[in-house]
Amino acid sequence: MELFYADPGEGVIKNWGDLLADLEQMNDYSPYCQESDYYLIFKHIIASLLLDREIVLLDSDFSTEETKRLLGDSILVSNTDPSSCLRSNIQTKEALLNRLKQIGPSWKITLFTSGTTGLPKKVSHSFQSITRFVNTSEKHRDNIWGYAYNPTHMAGIQVFFQALLNGNPLIRLFGLPKDQILQSISDYSISNISATPTFYRLLLPANDRYPTVTRLTSGGEKFDEKTSVLLSQVFPNAKVTNVYASTEAGTLLAAKGNEFSIKDEFVNLIKIENNELLIHKSLMGSSEAINSDWYPTGDLVEIISENPVRFKFISRKNEMINVGGYKVNPTEVEETIREINGVADVRVFSKSNSVLGSIICCEVVRTNPALDESNIRNQLQTKLQEFKIPRMVRFVESLSTTRTGKIKRN
Amino acid sequence: MENLKTIINTVLKNRGKKEVETVNETSHLRNDIGFDSLDLAELTVRIEAEYDVDIFEDGIVNTVGEILRKIKG
Repeated sequence: MELFYADPGEGVIKNWGDLLADLEQMNDYSPYCQESDYYLIFKHIIASLLLDREIVLLDSDFSTEETKRLLGDSILVSNTDPSSCLRSNIQTKEALLNRLKQIGPSWKITLFTSGTTGLPKKVSHSFQSITRFVNTSEKHRDNIWGYAYNPTHMAGIQVFFQALLNGNPLIRLFGLPKDQILQSISDYSISNISATPTFYRLLLPANDRYPTVTRLTSGGEKFDEKTSVLLSQVFPNAKVTNVYASTEAGTLLAAKGNEFSIKDEFVNLIKIENNELLIHKSLMGSSEAINSDWYPTGDLVEIISENPVRFKFISRKNEMINVGGYKVNPTEVEETIREINGVADVRVFSKSNSVLGSIICCEVVRTNPALDESNIRNQLQTKLQEFKIPRMVRFVESLSTTRTGKIKRN
Repeated sequence: MENLKTIINTVLKNRGKKEVETVNETSHLRNDIGFDSLDLAELTVRIEAEYDVDIFEDGIVNTVGEILRKIKG
């Protein structure tokens, strides 16, 4: 049977037949999925669809503390009754794809987005809202996807569904060394990749050309001109598209280069006010963050022309720091560092970086002179995800602040 | 070379990874030293602070030798 998933890093190859057999062998179902193995995550999502049960995706590196804060007291019930577990009797890939066309309105997927208040926001989507931008057609039947996102995050979920519903194989590229990524693109004749500019920057420069790739999608950060030019040399047959997406709304806008426009069907659902992009609630998944008709994205834009409106993104209204596509809230990091014994105060700020776009740095005022950088970072390792931990710690007598006394971010 | 090794080991130590005893021109940053992209980002910042050179400015470098050439300019 045809390939469903391959992980060149781990040497894992799963055909659709393996997937169906593995699904058939599931004896219990828990709504909580906190796996690091991509295949297990994919299998879990498909099981939830077939069982019509809710699934909650958690990053595998969330600490117990973080998970507890995220989930609070809401506990979903696991299903350990073998009689009611998955007995789908689905024998073929085609039968599975047909079954996935009949997912009911009660199915729900929940994930967490890096929030603006210090705690990640919980966002839930129905099958209809998460697959709104999936294109299924003959044209996509032979696509082969290079998988370059974390599967517990929105962008990764969207690529997963785009591939799944078209019956396309997924080749895991995320986190692999550069040479292995390029080798896998060629070995598996990958045709489509969706990734952050950081991921693409890590592939450059490359000596070879990869003609099988016909579509590159980029999102999550600003895309620079230099990367764009180098990419089109390495992937001579690829059309490069920029997308604007959020955990709450999924993919909303696509652009050529850095100029965006609003599709006809969203003209009344997306607007710009005071240079900020606003999205109508009907386009959003259900989230605690939405309490009016229009959701302020916090993304500031510059209008290039009116009727039809075209614009480009300038910056974030809030202070989130983008580390290789992952959003880090400096306030959350500061709060965690302040809890360390011997720390009087701390300022977290970003420094631009040619590898990741920006990285997290901090200045610390210490009361204990023996406290050093590795000491602080070791303590943070059990409390924060790796990308949130400052990569440079400087000890100072007092913190730099703005004229209004706020902590400086740059 | 000794100075670069110290910087590399600082990055490894801060991350709770095992420090390296020797590095040479052919040491591969990812495969031999075990850096991931977060470590590479930190390495650029530390080298820039020391030598005022952004080693990744023109794309990715892979080996210790390539860094040394960038530093020497």
